[in-house]
Order: sequence, then C-alpha cells, then structure tokens
Amino acid sequence: MGRRFAVFADMTPALFNPVDYAVPAFVLLVVIEMLWARKRAPEKYEPRDTLTSLALGTGSTVAGALFGSTMLGVAYWGYEFRIATIPWTCWAWVACFVLDDFFYYVFHRSAHRVRWFWAAHVNHHSSQHYNLSTALRQTWTGFFAFTFLFRLPLVFLGFHPAMILFVGAMNLIYQFWIHTEAIGKFPRWFEYLMNTPSHHRVHHATNPRYLDRNYAGVFIIWDRMFGTFTEEVDDEQIRYGIVKQLGTFSLWWSVFHEWVAIARDVWSAPWRHKFSYMWRPPGWSHDNSRDTSEVIRARWLDRQQQPAK
Amino acid sequence: MTILLAKLAGSIAAILFLAWFARWLKLGGDVRIRSEEQARAIADQVVCGFDPVDIAIDKAGIGALMRDERGRHLLVRRHGAQFAGRLLDHHSDSRLDQNFLTVGTGEKTFGKVTLNLGPQAQKWAAGLRYLRT
Repeated sequence: MGRRFAVFADMTPALFNPVDYAVPAFVLLVVIEMLWARKRAPEKYEPRDTLTSLALGTGSTVAGALFGSTMLGVAYWGYEFRIATIPWTCWAWVACFVLDDFFYYVFHRSAHRVRWFWAAHVNHHSSQHYNLSTALRQTWTGFFAFTFLFRLPLVFLGFHPAMILFVGAMNLIYQFWIHTEAIGKFPRWFEYLMNTPSHHRVHHATNPRYLDRNYAGVFIIWDRMFGTFTEEVDDEQIRYGIVKQLGTFSLWWSVFHEWVAIARDVWSAPWRHKFSYMWRPPGWSHDNSRDTSEVIRARWLDRQQQPAK
Repeated sequence: MTILLAKLAGSIAAILFLAWFARWLKLGGDVRIRSEEQARAIADQVVCGFDPVDIAIDKAGIGALMRDERGRHLLVRRHGAQFAGRLLDHHSDSRLDQNFLTVGTGEKTFGKVTLNLGPQAQKWAAGLRYLRT
C-alpha cells in the first residue's frame, strides 16, 4: 500500500498550501481589528481568551502535521476507487470548490448534531467572544472524530486529493474574515448567496432562536436549501459561546472537555444508553436531565407566546 | 522537518505578540454586575428561562447568587470580559465567613467564588446548605 501511495505522490502536482501565505494577512487583520476594538468596544477582545484561541490554532497545525499523512493516505486509497478521473481544468476547480463547500456543510451540520463530532468541533465555539482570533480556534482532535471522511465522496467522484486539499484550504481562508463584529451587513444579493459575518454571528450565537443554524462555509445557499438558515435580527443582542460556558481559559480543558464529558457519561450510563451518549445530539441524556438545542428553543418559543407578566 | 519547526516557532511568536498587543491596548475591560436588572439578564443568558425571585449581588459586582421560583440556585461570576455561571446542586459546597460566602460548584475548572453579600450572606449560606440535604 505504501508503494502505491508513493506512486500517487509522484503524480501529485506541486500545489502550494495557501494557508501558509494567508497567515501573515491573518495576523495583520487581527491587529487591525484589535485597534478597532480599542476605539469602539474594548470588551470585544479579552487577552487571555485571545491567547487560548491562537494557541488552539497553532496546536491544530501541529495536529495536522502529525495526522495529515494518514488522512492523505486514506484520500489516495479512496482515489483508487474513483468512478471517473476529473481533469485539472478550470471547470473542475470551480466544481470542486462548490462541491467541497457542500460537503463542508454536511460535515459542519453533523459536527453540531452528533456528539462525537461535536467533541472535536466544540473548541471552535467555546469562546464567549466573536472576533478574528476566534476563527483560528481550530480543533486538535478532528482526526479522532474521523471528520476527514466527509471529504471522501469528492475523492470517489474523481477529484484529485491534492485539488480537494487546495480548495479546502481556500474554504478555510474564506471563513477567517467572517468571524467579526466589526462588519455589519452587505448588499442583499451578497447576503443571499454568500456566508457573511452577519450569518456566521448567528451560527456562533447561543440565543435560543439561533441555536444550530447557519452551518455554511462559503455559500449560505446550502442553509437556505436545507432549512437551517436564520437571519440575524437587529433588536436582540447576540451572546456567543456554548450553552454551558466553560468558565475557564485553560487550553487543555478547551481542547478535551467534551471528550472527558463523553467518557464520564458513557462510564456512568446504563448499558443500553452508553452508545447514545456518543452519537446523539449534544445535550441529550437518557433521563432527560439535560437540554438539547431543540428543547431550549421550544421552551423559549413557548415563553415568547405566553402573555407578559 | 526544519521548515515545520520554523513555522511552529513563527506561529508561537505571532500568538505571543498578539496576546501581548491585546493586553497593551488594555482590551477586555472591567465588567461588573451593577443592578438587579443586569443580573436577571445574565441569569437568562446562563440558563435560558431562569427567572430569579431572589438576587444577591456581590458588593464589588464580580458575581451574584440567584434563586428562582422552583428553588434552583444559580451562581454567576465574571469570566474575563464576560460572565459565566452554574446551577448549583448537591455537588456544590459553600463556606461562610461573616459577610463573605465562598461557593464551589463541584467543578474544579470552574473554580470557587468568594462573594461579599453583606448581611444577606447567612441567609444564602443556609439556602445552599439546604441544597446538599
């Protein structure tokens, strides 16, 4: 198998990693946003939170270096079973980008609805702040949550793994700039088509009306198509983070807290419910002692419909 | 490998610079709970629908204890420039020292909070003791 991969590696076009070139721009934009925050709203940043977010970003690149070759190996293995060989043409790049964004939507929705995937994704959401440093708050444990499998359909379709890797990196770069409160809304046509700071603020919000909404990466149309879109409203202040805020800036706890919680739940649950604590939505419990996002939203809607005291 | 290590060193230098820069700009602010109205809003943020009937705010505004109609006790405290909180249950512990009430949630990572509640501290300490029975 190793030799086969070596052969494919020889066929891989020499593509650069766009993220490497984007990092200096990321740093510069964070500095600019900090200067904006100093003038307009100093509470939009918290130095300890920023340090945790950025350390999570750096750690995720280390995790990527450690497990990247295995993930690439799986991709090249899958490429052997492709149903077509898609050429390196202009249309193929565009198609790959759009389809990759669709599979990102599928992955991202699963990452919020299946607790095993959520355990890897939660650290991106655990900051109570929403700024450009939050964008760099990336997972260390995506490999263990098998999140790379969500891109395999593209490989089976016949897109070259190197092309998929490249468009995936472009997708990641696009998502950086939408993590800000410094930008309001864009013209309607843009907000209709693209994921924007406004749409993504909704995604990071813990307000009941916004829970588990707007999963898109680049094109918001996926949310519109599959019924998960919610528009940001002007008269409600957004609260960011997770339903049960961490209350600590600990880097290690930010990375592993949900994995620890799963382990505890699986250990203490009755046998027939153990597996459910891994695959059911975050907040699910066999004795209904906790709340899922649906329960929280339903309770909130119920309160909205009651006459004011 | 050398390139990877150089990238890692660059990343660490960049994050240390940005964290220092945020501190140098004095970002974050000094958030306090200044009114019962604010405490209610924070309670609703922490536990959706938590409607307190009794509120005790720390004299310096760094935290608060609240109780709702159902007898649930909620502890909120400052967390950087935001607030975080926990519903208290039988895992929580408390220690009264005159006007100061130290409350633990049973979660090591959340830590303990010492609130200056003035003369109300005793009443709240009794309420928290009741939670553990």
